[in-house]
Amino acid sequence: MVSADLLATLVPALPLLGALSIGFGRRKLSANAAGGLATALVGLSFVCSLLLFFGHDGGTRIVHLFNWITVGTMHIPFAFQVDSLSLWMMLVVTGVGTLIHAYSIGYMHNDPRVATFFAQLNLFSFAMLLLVMGSNFLVTFIGWEGVGICSYLLIGFWYTNPEYNYAGRKAFVMNRIGDVGMVLAMALLFLQFGTLNYTEVSAQAANFSPGNPLLVGATLLLFLGATGKSAQLPLLTWLPDAMAGPTPVSALIHAATMVTAGIFLVVRSSVLFELAPYTQDIILWVGVATALFGATVGLFQNDIKKVLAYSTVSQLGYMFAALGVGAYSAGMFHVTTHAFFKALLFLGAGSVIHALGGEQDIRKMGGLKNTTRTTYLTFLIATLAIAGIPPLSGFFSKDGILASTFAQSPLAYAVLVFAAMLTALYMFRLLFLTFFGTYRGKAHPHESPAIMTVPLVVLAVLSAIGGALNIPHVFGGHEWLKQQLATAVEAVGAEHLALSASTEYLLMALSTALVVLTIWYAWTIYGKKTTLEGEPADMPLPKRLVAKRWMLDELYAAVFEKPYGWLSRAFFSVGETRLAVPLTAGTGKAAHSVAEWMRKLQSGNTSFYLFGMMLGVVVLLLFTLLSV
Amino acid sequence: MVLLALVLIPLIAAVLLLALRPAAATARGLALTSSLLTLALTLWLWYTWNGTAVTAINHDWVPAWGMRLVLGYSGIGLLMLVLTAVLFPFIIGTGYKQPVGNGALVNALLLFCQAALFGVFMAQNAFLFYIFFELTLLPIFFLLLRWGGEHKRSITIRFFLYTLLGGLALLFSIAYVTLQTPVPHSADFTALAALDLPMDVQLWLFWAMFLAFAIKMPIFPFHSWQPETYTMAPTQGTMVLSAVMGKMGIYGIVVFLFTILPEGSAHWRHVVVGLSLFGAIYAAVIAFRQDNFKRLVAYSSMSHMGLMCAALFALNTYGISGGLYQTFAHGVLMVCLFYIAGMMHQRVGSHHFAQMGGMKSAMPRLALLFMLVVGNAIAMPLTQSFPGEWLMFTGLWRMEPWLALAGVVLIVLGAIYMLYAYQRVLLGPDRSHTAPDADGEEHFLLVPLIAICFLVGLFPNLVLQLVDAPVQQLLNSFTSLP
Repeated sequence: MVSADLLATLVPALPLLGALSIGFGRRKLSANAAGGLATALVGLSFVCSLLLFFGHDGGTRIVHLFNWITVGTMHIPFAFQVDSLSLWMMLVVTGVGTLIHAYSIGYMHNDPRVATFFAQLNLFSFAMLLLVMGSNFLVTFIGWEGVGICSYLLIGFWYTNPEYNYAGRKAFVMNRIGDVGMVLAMALLFLQFGTLNYTEVSAQAANFSPGNPLLVGATLLLFLGATGKSAQLPLLTWLPDAMAGPTPVSALIHAATMVTAGIFLVVRSSVLFELAPYTQDIILWVGVATALFGATVGLFQNDIKKVLAYSTVSQLGYMFAALGVGAYSAGMFHVTTHAFFKALLFLGAGSVIHALGGEQDIRKMGGLKNTTRTTYLTFLIATLAIAGIPPLSGFFSKDGILASTFAQSPLAYAVLVFAAMLTALYMFRLLFLTFFGTYRGKAHPHESPAIMTVPLVVLAVLSAIGGALNIPHVFGGHEWLKQQLATAVEAVGAEHLALSASTEYLLMALSTALVVLTIWYAWTIYGKKTTLEGEPADMPLPKRLVAKRWMLDELYAAVFEKPYGWLSRAFFSVGETRLAVPLTAGTGKAAHSVAEWMRKLQSGNTSFYLFGMMLGVVVLLLFTLLSV
Repeated sequence: MVLLALVLIPLIAAVLLLALRPAAATARGLALTSSLLTLALTLWLWYTWNGTAVTAINHDWVPAWGMRLVLGYSGIGLLMLVLTAVLFPFIIGTGYKQPVGNGALVNALLLFCQAALFGVFMAQNAFLFYIFFELTLLPIFFLLLRWGGEHKRSITIRFFLYTLLGGLALLFSIAYVTLQTPVPHSADFTALAALDLPMDVQLWLFWAMFLAFAIKMPIFPFHSWQPETYTMAPTQGTMVLSAVMGKMGIYGIVVFLFTILPEGSAHWRHVVVGLSLFGAIYAAVIAFRQDNFKRLVAYSSMSHMGLMCAALFALNTYGISGGLYQTFAHGVLMVCLFYIAGMMHQRVGSHHFAQMGGMKSAMPRLALLFMLVVGNAIAMPLTQSFPGEWLMFTGLWRMEPWLALAGVVLIVLGAIYMLYAYQRVLLGPDRSHTAPDADGEEHFLLVPLIAICFLVGLFPNLVLQLVDAPVQQLLNSFTSLP
């Protein structure tokens, strides 16, 4: 039997091994060999996670590898924390990751740099695993930055396109803005507690009284980090642009795993957040606002991947809303089901794009349900799941969030239900325009190969039955996932839903009925009539504003990007060229004129020189005499 | 004996080169051998170091002036010796692929400079320090004047005068403090550290000394010589200046200001931190829109130096350890970046971004090497820059939270200019050109450097343990700090 420590080390080590071996052997490996190796290693990592999971006794195990940073009283170990929270994330990351790796073998088959792609995808998996497994904030931060740079590389994977390069940089820089908060939070926590280990920080923080300004500050800073990584307002505009990357990247990084890092971080440090009610309120409302923002903008997108990107933004908003009301298990549950159905949606979109030879505009699709049968059926399941139709997974996870929110803030609940209706609307618009009606493009659609459709089917099954992981008590379930997480996250154990069973039934019926009505409405405009929206420029003003992402990009460009460029130029042309260098040159000129004056002393008059010498000797003698 | 050998080996090799004037290939070989020999000696010193300060040579020289020949090192000095010894083989190796001028002469000058640098970091007497400190300048002066680029004459002379000005202020300060020691005067660091200068003296003397080091690093607003000098200098000269000579400023701050003028340092620290951080941000902002790759790296160097100086003046364990640690990381980084700038210059004949771009398809290997260096430049964790930045930010927060905020902004600005530079150098629509990919020799230089980046990033304690004890000792003189 392999020891648990070794297994835990292997989980991130295997994808790292894959990244290094494929990266260095990228010229010698064939496309299939690189893809196969990458998939196998992440798959093995999944197996190791499963073994760890089933051998897990419900405790917290620290796997200490070595001392990383030691200065004075600062001891930062390089260590992993294996508990039910990290185990669950490891399973999601490696499980969904394996499927997406396998799918990529088919999707990226014809790309000349396919081996590089798989090396970077493996490197990402490694970083993501470090993120969830770290036993202290700083090890998590290794993964946090690592997934950021992998995301940058993969968004700009097709580097000959300057727009893609810009998208990559934008993603990285906006993430870094969030990281400012993360780094400051770590500095604050370290100087306060003398450690960054989660267990010790949590234990010490538990002695603080609720609302302590230090904890409010730390949690706000941590949340700033989370908004960057998880694309929440105001740091979300990078995520839609990130769709420039290959579609499997969008599925893995920008839907299933990396963007949920912010949620993970909050759950990991939930002890701090529980004691900072002020931060929790902010999280709730940022989450609610983002959920609504994403859902509204998603309505008007014509790029199949952009619709899904705004949908991701919106769904992440739901997860944060859950965290804001202290429903950590509901948030983690939605992380899980979202990983299933959103990965499936992206992979399905990829399959459609593949079938149409690269077309992403849904106005040039239609009628694909007959030509791409498997893709259609699986996409349908995912769409029903994200819309929250019972008994699919999304129904249970979204209901968990809605019920917890209702108990705390009916207003937030109302907004989230409205956003859920919009979700159904934009998703069914997408479904109808893509798969129903008649084909409006010029390509010859064909179903994707089995290496791509099999992962779709597996994810479809998970999206369908994933709700079983956490069936609420009102349906006679035992909330299995919540029970699991409660062993690692104290706050989960303390969660208590103050709603009567009848209220819960009523809320479920209400939201389901509203969603079904919305679907019917979507059918009347997009299914039967196939209404196509034009470009935002042709729309009436309020609609145009929403379609253009509430002008957020334009706002940032006008307020930050452009002025920063001007500032950079101004500092150089005024500060450097006009001020600093001429001033130095002035010093030089001054020295020159001193030299001119000195030159006059060299008159060629020997007696003047002798006088000078005498004077010098006398001064030296005096100096020596006086100083001895 | 080993210490003397560190100065003598490069010195003898340099004299041999000057006397024999061998062909370029032989000259490079001899210089490289000499630098590898000193590297081996330094690594041996590192390996056998037992954590205490070492004094190896102790001779009278000009007793009346307190001038004595004292050589030795503490952990901090040893770190600087290691930095110098590790980087010079690579700096000399740069000449293989990017040769400048007369091989014998260039390598002799580089070796002279290395000998003087070893001297600076081993000198335990202030006058001796000063002599070596100024001696480093001479070979660089000739290197720049002879093999610099556009406007080399005016830029070199300006650089020389500017740094000399700082040097004079230092000389004056050393003479002054030496005269304050009890008779017989001694300029040994131990004697100077024992001085308890009155506060009013510390307050003005601080600026006289700081001027020399601020110009050397350089720190805003004493930096104006730096960007144009770094841009104009031949690659090897820029490497010596940015990777090693700038560190004399950091080292000087610790051995002079912190030990001789602790109260003065504590009193002025807010001003220095403010200036340094402002300069760091200022340089990072400028770097973003630079259209000259080499000058962009020059500004990035200034930005990093500003952060290091600010962190030192946080005057706590994390700030000083982080700042000192970062001297090593920054040195390795600068050699990498200027080497890549040189590689690009060889391929497109210019440092201007306008001549670059669209080259990644033709140079996948160079692209990978450059990306790894970029990762280091933007302080990705597990590269060597990260532990240093983390410590420096923690140190700044300890001093004043909003200072940490100003410092941490640099991780955003750094990412902005570095990734934009990477894009402008390599990415974009493929250009038709015949520039070759990175070849074996270039890998031979960059791969070990990048390996050091990751090795130290994974095990930063290798470097941190050198400075840990000396920094604790140093901090004891600041007990009066709030």
